[in-house]
Amino acid sequence: MKRQSTWLSLVFWIAVSLITLFPIYWLFVISVKPAVDLFTTPDLFLKSFYWQNYLDVLTDRTLRGYMWNSLIVSSGNALLVTTLGFLACYALTRYDLGGKESIFFWTITNRMAPPAVFLLPLFLLMTSYYRIGNFSLLDTKIGLILVYCTLNLPFAIWTLRPTLDGIPKDLDEAAYMDGASSWKVISEVVFPLARPGVAVTLMLTWVFAWNEYLLAATLTNFNARTLTTGLSEYVTTTGTEWGVMATISVFTLIPALIVFSLVQKHIVAGLTFGAVKG
Amino acid sequence: MQSNKLGWFLLAPTLVVLFFFGVVPFLYVVWLAFHQWNPFAVDPTIIYNGAENFRRLVFDQAFLSSLGVTLAFTFFAVTTQVILGYVLAQAFMRDFPGKAIFRTIHTLPLIMAPIIVGSIWKLMTTPSIGIIPHYLDQWFGYDLNIGQSAIAAFTITVIMDVWHWTPLVTLTLIAALVSLPPDPFEQAQIDGANRRQIFWHITLPMISPAILATVFIRLMDALRTVDEVLMLTGGGPGSATRYLGVHIFREVFPRTNYGYGSAVSVIVLYLTIVVCWLLFVGLIAPRNKKA
Amino acid sequence: MTISLKAGASALALALAAQGAFAQDIQIENADWWQEAGAKFDGVTIRGVTESTPPSNFVTDVIAPKFEELTGIRVEIETTSWDQMYDKAIKDMEAGTGIYDVVYIEQDIVYSYLSRDFLVDMTAALEENSDLQAPGYSEDNFTTFADYFRGENGDLFGVPMEAFIKIYLYRTDLFDDEEIRAAFQEQTGRELEPAKTHEEYAEIAEFFTQYFQEQGEDIWGTTAQAHTGHPASWYEYVESILPTFGVYNWGINADEDYAATVEHGGEMNSDTAKEALTWWLSMRDIAPPESVQSTWTEVATTFAAGRAAQGLVYGENAAWIASDENQSRVVGNVGVALPPVEDGVMEEIEAGNGYIGYYDGGAFGIPVSSNNHEAALLFAQFLALPDLQEEWALAAPRITLTSTYDSERVQQLDEDLGGYFSMMRDDGALFQGAPPYPFHAQVREAVAPIFYSILTGSTGVDEGLDQMAERAEQELTNLGYRTN
Repeated sequence: MKRQSTWLSLVFWIAVSLITLFPIYWLFVISVKPAVDLFTTPDLFLKSFYWQNYLDVLTDRTLRGYMWNSLIVSSGNALLVTTLGFLACYALTRYDLGGKESIFFWTITNRMAPPAVFLLPLFLLMTSYYRIGNFSLLDTKIGLILVYCTLNLPFAIWTLRPTLDGIPKDLDEAAYMDGASSWKVISEVVFPLARPGVAVTLMLTWVFAWNEYLLAATLTNFNARTLTTGLSEYVTTTGTEWGVMATISVFTLIPALIVFSLVQKHIVAGLTFGAVKG
Repeated sequence: MQSNKLGWFLLAPTLVVLFFFGVVPFLYVVWLAFHQWNPFAVDPTIIYNGAENFRRLVFDQAFLSSLGVTLAFTFFAVTTQVILGYVLAQAFMRDFPGKAIFRTIHTLPLIMAPIIVGSIWKLMTTPSIGIIPHYLDQWFGYDLNIGQSAIAAFTITVIMDVWHWTPLVTLTLIAALVSLPPDPFEQAQIDGANRRQIFWHITLPMISPAILATVFIRLMDALRTVDEVLMLTGGGPGSATRYLGVHIFREVFPRTNYGYGSAVSVIVLYLTIVVCWLLFVGLIAPRNKKA
Repeated sequence: MTISLKAGASALALALAAQGAFAQDIQIENADWWQEAGAKFDGVTIRGVTESTPPSNFVTDVIAPKFEELTGIRVEIETTSWDQMYDKAIKDMEAGTGIYDVVYIEQDIVYSYLSRDFLVDMTAALEENSDLQAPGYSEDNFTTFADYFRGENGDLFGVPMEAFIKIYLYRTDLFDDEEIRAAFQEQTGRELEPAKTHEEYAEIAEFFTQYFQEQGEDIWGTTAQAHTGHPASWYEYVESILPTFGVYNWGINADEDYAATVEHGGEMNSDTAKEALTWWLSMRDIAPPESVQSTWTEVATTFAAGRAAQGLVYGENAAWIASDENQSRVVGNVGVALPPVEDGVMEEIEAGNGYIGYYDGGAFGIPVSSNNHEAALLFAQFLALPDLQEEWALAAPRITLTSTYDSERVQQLDEDLGGYFSMMRDDGALFQGAPPYPFHAQVREAVAPIFYSILTGSTGVDEGLDQMAERAEQELTNLGYRTN
């Protein structure tokens, strides 16, 4: 009985994984074919490899800069919003703040805005108002990190709140009784228990920042270009360079995979949380 | 409980950041929505025109049809994602060999940029040379043509969105499920509850805040989808997949219709807020209070 | 541009770099003058924005470094997508931020920029600062393409950097095949030759589609740039189909208060326009099935993959289709001809009363909002130096100076390309820049949704064009160009 269900679940997961993986496999296929070979009766399997796209991408020094910018911006933003979001959620769940449900709801409205129109005011603000002397936020990594907060901070707050709600308040109170400071309670009592939620929030906000295109395309020019803006360079009036785009995407999967596997461990660790507490 | 001052102090950075990068631009957009402004009109200046933009909107066939298809797209995409995501999250709660690998595989679509997702799906579905229409034709004699058939294009955008974003639902629900305290489940088992009873009376009520938060996020993201669809169909065929995000993009980018585009955005934002607020007041806020 | 040309170009770059000859290989006359001129701008950086096309990549990879080396002025070029490029340049110039010192302008958007006085009058600026006038640079060197970047006063507002014409490509291997020729003769009673008229073109297209369908091969009789949700289809219609039927300037009549409807003196919904669109749709229906998703590149790739016997393809793609073995399955089998026209239209065009298609391309202009006009002027002139043009034309098939046609290596390439360059030189005058409207994108976006719905068949041709003409007038009234 037990063995049979193991087999069943394996079959199930292999099927699900094949569906999930197919478009990614196809991405790889696109990256190792010249465009002209895409315009023919499609073949499920690869018969030959065309490495020119990889040579092009590897020798392209600007792309390396973009990769670096992307890493800094998404990691910086994910850490910032997760921290701020965690603190905000702690405040929202532990204190009796006036109008807190309205504030909670208001935060998410920041994510709802259709982005295209907000580019103009953001551009104007960042070039003309949010500046100190010669330093303006336009085309800086810190500028992007801050702008992404409008998308990711609401997300962080909304995904962390259920987690923090789920952590019994008796635990903090017990700690306070023992004379712990607020900082200690947050960092040593609540945070460890919220780790699965924090890990998922980190991962997802990182991904959102990593993949964001429209804001980065408008608000960076030379110094803070990210990988997605680099991708868009291959979509031009004269068309789209599918192969190079696909190749760059294959490369973008690598750092993302590393970040994911680093953070995923903590979700697993979270699994034992129930047992420890019980 | 500690003093509320500390609470406000912890909340303050969030409020400040969102004020400067969310509220201030929003106010500008609202202001612009009451103006006519196209930098390539005969008069390129910003001219106040009262509620004219909004009046035009109500009769704007392009906007209304865009609204309609967007709502349909959002409904089908989000519903499918939540159901699938929940089923998969539950399946991940069990132990089985290779679980870590399967979970990593399952999250892979998330790490792909929307413009890439749109590109791959375009190449997979282009008539005659795409792999999907090719096999549909060979195996079932079905002619999938996303360049001609509105239904086909619509369906493919939904499938693409489901493929891309179901993992997000799965992940947030896993986080919620693993944080559940085991006591109520043990108690229920002792009391002899069956699986279905446990699901309806214990699991669902306990994780519904997380489900709703996820629905919210997906809902609002689906309502403003741009990149994927722009790459996949460009909004076509005709206006079949010209979702609001795409519609607004075309209004303000190539057409430089800033005033009118702002009005459309304000209305879209308003509608999104109303829908979400109703959901929130009805479902989430009472729970938060209880908790 | 396609993966192919880019890959081809960079493979070439690698090969050349291996021989230690690339940017260094280009010799600029009067190097001293450039050194001296640049000395004044110590520490200045010029920033530009452009698309990532092969001609632009050549600027970034070769010309800019050379310019830096000579003058000491740093050049930074931002490459981005088409929509983004315009949006960013417009935001910058509108707000007067001064981010860019050089912007890429196409032969249609230039009229929008001119209407807003966004660009520096280069002719006047050089007259005022005669010490900036570079030896070797002269406005007289340009081909007629430069005329599409002149203001009303005849002054130049942009330095042409790429120019192309959309041409009629056909497969010489198929057109010369004895068996096919015999079959064609039998079916139609005439010799198989590249079409001169729409009627002949349609006959050939129908013949090939049917012929290869019977053979079970994936070859069709024509291409069609007929994407049902992308402006590419609109452009094929207004720049290559309508004019060959004798309807110019989108069917909008600037002299009649920008009328578009027949009722008001326009031609957007005239019977000829309806005939043209109907004809094009009938061609689309016998084109490869991917055509409904095809923009500019996909059409070229379709042709390169050997899926079409003939078709209209943008000239910038002709080079790799005709010569790059890695990228094309029809190398050596490509013939070049002028697009087919309706009877009587060619006479009209030759008399100067019309055009056979757009003379496409772009230039670099200097925004008024830039803080480095003078350094940017130097760079702009540098782009038009005859010394650079040969290498540039070889790396990307563009020609903007008349002298480039005389280069031996360019003539060699011309042969490989089936005479594309000679056609551009000899028949370039039959092509013309976009209509001088400051509202290209605006009107296009206003009518495009209706156009797409005609393409999907959900709106009829007659009814659709009537709606489009009305919508165009409505948009022009909103914008203030049309007074009623």
